Amino acid sequence: MTATTLEKREKTDLTRLFLTQRIPLLAVLIVIVVVTFFINDAGGYLTAPYDFDYMSAALITAVPLAMLGLAEMLVILSGRGGIDLSVGAIVSLAGMLFGFAYGEWGWPLWLAIIATAAFGALLGAVNGFLVSYIGFPALIATLATFYAYKSLAIVVNNQQPISTEPIQQLFSLSRSVELPIIGQYIPDVPLGIFTFLLPTVVAVWVLMARTAYGRRLYAIGTNDVAARWAGLPVRDTRFKAYVYAGLISGLVAVVTVAQFASARPDAGVSGNGMALPAITIAVLGGVAITGGIGRVAGVVLATLLIVWLNAGILLAFVGNEGSQYQLLALGTVLVFAALLNGLTNRKYGGS
Amino acid sequence: MTITATPPAKIKNLPSPVTGQEIVLIGVIAVLWAALAVSTPAFLTAGSLQPLLVATAPVALVGVGMTIVIITGGIDVSVGAAIMVCSVITAKTLVGSDVNLAVAVLISVLAGGALGLINGFLIAYGRVHAIIITFGTANLFMFLGLQIFGSGTVNGIPGTLGFFGRGEAGRTLGIPHAFLITALITAAVWWYLRHTAGGRHFFAIGGDAQAARLAGVRVQRRVLLAYLTTGVLVGLASCFVIAQGTSTLDQSVGSGKELAVIAAVVIGGTSIMGGRGSVLGTFLGALLVQTVASGVTQLGWRSQLSDLFVGIFIIVAVGADLLRARARRSR
Repeated sequence: MTATTLEKREKTDLTRLFLTQRIPLLAVLIVIVVVTFFINDAGGYLTAPYDFDYMSAALITAVPLAMLGLAEMLVILSGRGGIDLSVGAIVSLAGMLFGFAYGEWGWPLWLAIIATAAFGALLGAVNGFLVSYIGFPALIATLATFYAYKSLAIVVNNQQPISTEPIQQLFSLSRSVELPIIGQYIPDVPLGIFTFLLPTVVAVWVLMARTAYGRRLYAIGTNDVAARWAGLPVRDTRFKAYVYAGLISGLVAVVTVAQFASARPDAGVSGNGMALPAITIAVLGGVAITGGIGRVAGVVLATLLIVWLNAGILLAFVGNEGSQYQLLALGTVLVFAALLNGLTNRKYGGS
Repeated sequence: MTITATPPAKIKNLPSPVTGQEIVLIGVIAVLWAALAVSTPAFLTAGSLQPLLVATAPVALVGVGMTIVIITGGIDVSVGAAIMVCSVITAKTLVGSDVNLAVAVLISVLAGGALGLINGFLIAYGRVHAIIITFGTANLFMFLGLQIFGSGTVNGIPGTLGFFGRGEAGRTLGIPHAFLITALITAAVWWYLRHTAGGRHFFAIGGDAQAARLAGVRVQRRVLLAYLTTGVLVGLASCFVIAQGTSTLDQSVGSGKELAVIAAVVIGGTSIMGGRGSVLGTFLGALLVQTVASGVTQLGWRSQLSDLFVGIFIIVAVGADLLRARARRSR
């Protein structure tokens, strides 16, 4: 084998790596985005400095995004058109419960958080029951519950947000903190990263990569019928995916209430809602919409990419132009991710 | 099914013109109207029914296109953003230059058609999942719409589109034009889907795209056509939306409409899996959703409560369909 053919083969292997493995591709994209904005910053084209402090502060928006992205990953992995349009509405409705429990009824914080998470899980269980046991297509069942939860969240407190004294003080949960020991060398990190995001990421990773449940979920998502003949509890496994998604949405509700310092009835559904960005993150992170394929690291990297891209875009434009260009970026990235998935499936066979 | 079927036998092979779901929907709407007529005397008056019919039109019209898309096994979640783009283009044209009704409709329809073409092209030839692509294009369309909006609202829209509006100019013999046009288009598409080879191809693609392709259906062209049709209808529906509003158009126009349209389609009995459905059902589904919204306000309840009923209707309508499918299988 001559040196040129070897070189050629290495090159195609690299192309193949980037096309078939989402994680290296995302890592490279993150580096490109960050370097691009650093260069722009150095050239003075941005309205404010884009540095590590800014990137770290921007991570606060990664908390709900990554958590809901993981929630979507679980349901999409479960296969048979799995998707959850209701996560945003669960965030709204569970957030209202948290508002009542902590802000009005004076429950202790830990109890209120557990109750909110449990309530989220219950709302997710309704989805799971409809999809897994009754056989509703996931898109329909979660569209219906999206409407129902959204409506209930608005009606339950007469459209009024709850922002009593204890709720307002919760804002301290979303402040940035200096880490012990290494803290003085790196920027302050938003507290929500440690209290909510990291535990969720670790828990989902352990669930997917280190438990029998995770293996079952991949199995039913890959081939529903084969999994049933292999004796797996298909319905139960799929049902639990929706319950976990609801549970995570319940936790996001707490984060959102703290971030706004108010339990807003439309927190998860206003504007574009929270479900669409979450699905986008999951797909961008390499979760196959057909089920059975997807990894936690992909979703986390996809979140970082979008968060740092959005943060940079915000500085590159004056006024609200930036938020419009964020839509452009998100749409373009999603369309290209989808086309790339189609291309790799055709070129390298896929599953 | 035999291939050598003679024309009369072919007609016999067609399913019944009105599905069970549609009969039930007609019944439910009739019961609701009767109940509302009894509880609120103002309901069965022209002043209450005409706005209801006008408000039904855009959702039902986009629903006709969405039904075709869903029959082919796809979905289009970008229609809400597409409505925004078409509305703002048309509104700006109306404000900027004094065009007449026909030109305004043409501009809106062309804009919608172009957006539909983008979706259709990506989905048919990019061979990627429709929901993902349309999530992406929804963001792109929203960007486009907001850019055209510039900042804030479009003000001082002239009454050129009053032909489709709520006012006196928007009615003939008491029937709103927007509703009439929607009903005519629904009927035409219903006939096309049911009685022409081209129409049946959409069902074939939704049933099994691979088999349809081997049977000689030009799958990609048909899929492209489905999204193009949806885009064109979005364009027309945007004219209805502008006409129903005030002389000001704000940036929230079309927001959330995609889910309302999908709700109407699935309440109408169209299977989200593709291969089965009817535009008549969608029309009735849109009418039902609007009746509930109108009824909730007239009863003096909180208007947001109507969403809860929409959710319940989706569960009941699709649940009934699932039960029927189970019965069909076990027979």
